[in-house]
Amino acid sequence: MGTSMRNNNSIFSGIHRAFSTLFYTLWQGIKYLWRNKGYTLASIATISSCLFLFGIFFSVVLNFEHMVKSAEKDVSVTVFFKDGVTEDQINQLKIAVEERPEVSKVKYVSADEAWKEFSKDYLGDYADGFTENPLEGSENLEIYLNDVSKQADLVSYLEGIDGVREVNRSELTANTLSGANSLIGYISMAIIAILFVVSLFLISNTVASGIISHKDEITIMKYIGATDFFVQAPYVFEGIIIGFIGSIIPLVLIWYLYHKVIALVNGKFAILSSLLSFLPLKVVFHDLVPISVALGVGIGFLGSMFTIRKHLHV
Amino acid sequence: MAQSNRAEELRAENIAVSLRDVSKMYSREAPAVTNADFEVHDGEFVFITGETGSGKSTLLKMIMHELKPTSGEINVLGFDLNRIRHGKIPKFRRNLGIVFQDFRLLRDRNVYENVAFAQRIIQVPGKDIRKNVLDALDMVGLADKYKRKVTQLSGGEQQRVALARALVNKPLLLLADEPTGNLDADTAWDIMQLIERVNEIFGTTVIVVTHDRGIVSRMHKRVVEMKQGEIISDSGEIDPYYEGYDELPDYQDVDADGYEYEE
Ligand SMILES: Nc1ncnc2c1ncn2[C@@H]1O[C@H](COP(=O)(O)OP(=O)(O)OP(=O)(O)O)[C@@H](O)[C@H]1O
Ligand SMILES: [Mg+2]
Repeated sequence: MGTSMRNNNSIFSGIHRAFSTLFYTLWQGIKYLWRNKGYTLASIATISSCLFLFGIFFSVVLNFEHMVKSAEKDVSVTVFFKDGVTEDQINQLKIAVEERPEVSKVKYVSADEAWKEFSKDYLGDYADGFTENPLEGSENLEIYLNDVSKQADLVSYLEGIDGVREVNRSELTANTLSGANSLIGYISMAIIAILFVVSLFLISNTVASGIISHKDEITIMKYIGATDFFVQAPYVFEGIIIGFIGSIIPLVLIWYLYHKVIALVNGKFAILSSLLSFLPLKVVFHDLVPISVALGVGIGFLGSMFTIRKHLHV
Repeated sequence: MAQSNRAEELRAENIAVSLRDVSKMYSREAPAVTNADFEVHDGEFVFITGETGSGKSTLLKMIMHELKPTSGEINVLGFDLNRIRHGKIPKFRRNLGIVFQDFRLLRDRNVYENVAFAQRIIQVPGKDIRKNVLDALDMVGLADKYKRKVTQLSGGEQQRVALARALVNKPLLLLADEPTGNLDADTAWDIMQLIERVNEIFGTTVIVVTHDRGIVSRMHKRVVEMKQGEIISDSGEIDPYYEGYDELPDYQDVDADGYEYEE
């Protein structure tokens, strides 16, 4: 009885069957989404807003970091020397400082160059009235850092060196920059964590309502001999699809809004435009797309697995 | 090891269902089934009767492994149900056809889909499903209504759909709990005739739980009677070719294909 049907167990038909089961359960998952429209929409909306916020924070943090990095390039420490310090001694210090890991570049500025730069910036044509260099003895080292947070260490090191008269730091101090950066990071993490819990909860509720309203169907499936996989997979797919759609919608929104917002900011704060160097969307999306999709799908998967464990102990 | 040998032994003796000293207690109070002992051979047709609350459904649920016995051994179709692993349950269930008093159809699907559902669950290749489903519907006399919503069918027709769903996977053992409990006498008789046909044509082993003394006495089958959880009588295996065969109603007259019922 019916054995001819069941004994057809070649590898090929096994694989074929596995695939058709996968597609069938996937299709069932899509149908479950549809017959559970209200809940589905609510969860997609929640996870979308969650990932939209995440995307915004992510873009802001990434751009901010980028701006800090570019600003850091201009942050320098200037070292002035006591009278009688020779150019040789200064050059030795230059070599020593260049070897420090946090230092990216050291520039020697002679007194003449210092005067030239100063007069160009502040005096213009009046500079011609000076025949002697008024800044005699102002030769210095301009030290550029690759990590601004190390500035304090460097300054105390320099101040301890013989022959150093003065160490000047730039006004843009390191701590403000990196401090603000990590604050934004922490706040966004906290908000995102809360939102993720909410979307996890909603997806779980969506799947649970589907399971509860179809208890009869599930019971019949088990009587007929459905495997656990066959019963559970549609619900897992349901969660994953919600998560996936919920991650695509905010990405499309960000893709659409990103340049508009940058144009707006650049227009409003034109004075700062040298400081506001934005990253191209491509750079932001390079990480944001995989992270968002992974988060969406992951939350969908976890939400439904968690619910299945709770409501579908087969 | 000894247990699986026992299961194999029973298979070799063509024993489809074997209960040995089976008891079931839902709670600490009175047991629902007490020391039940009986065997059903391949191809047998058995009625289980008894007053309400006597443990008939409980017994059937243990045979389909929906419930585990509190004590005793159950072997069904070579599966040792005391030791069956969770992962093997679907494999075991695929040998069963199960019919309930309340039909349990999927109300949001049509007749065809309700039957095809059973085939999809056991992963029958798509190209075979259509033929199998139409064959099963033809068997129960509903081939022409395959597109109907099940909610637009009479009770008897709904039970026929449920029967087609139970049969489409060609089960070795058909279990029915009060399959005619919600139907009027004539319709009930038709459904029982259909079940008998399945038993005779396919050799499917059949266990039917019923209250209906009228049907039981007209059908001349083996009858197991329960009372307060105990099996109080068992008519034993009936040889259909022996006594009473001539008295059996001529089911050819109610051949599903030609049979008429209210539209
Ligand atoms: N899930 C349960 N929990 C506790 N007790 C139960 C449960 N199911 C049944 N019982 C009890 O077990 C006994 C046997 O019940 P069962 O349903 O097997 O009887 P039955 O013979 O099928 O009755 P009926 O003819 O009314 O369907 C009854 O006393 C019933 O109250
Ligand atoms: Mg009962």
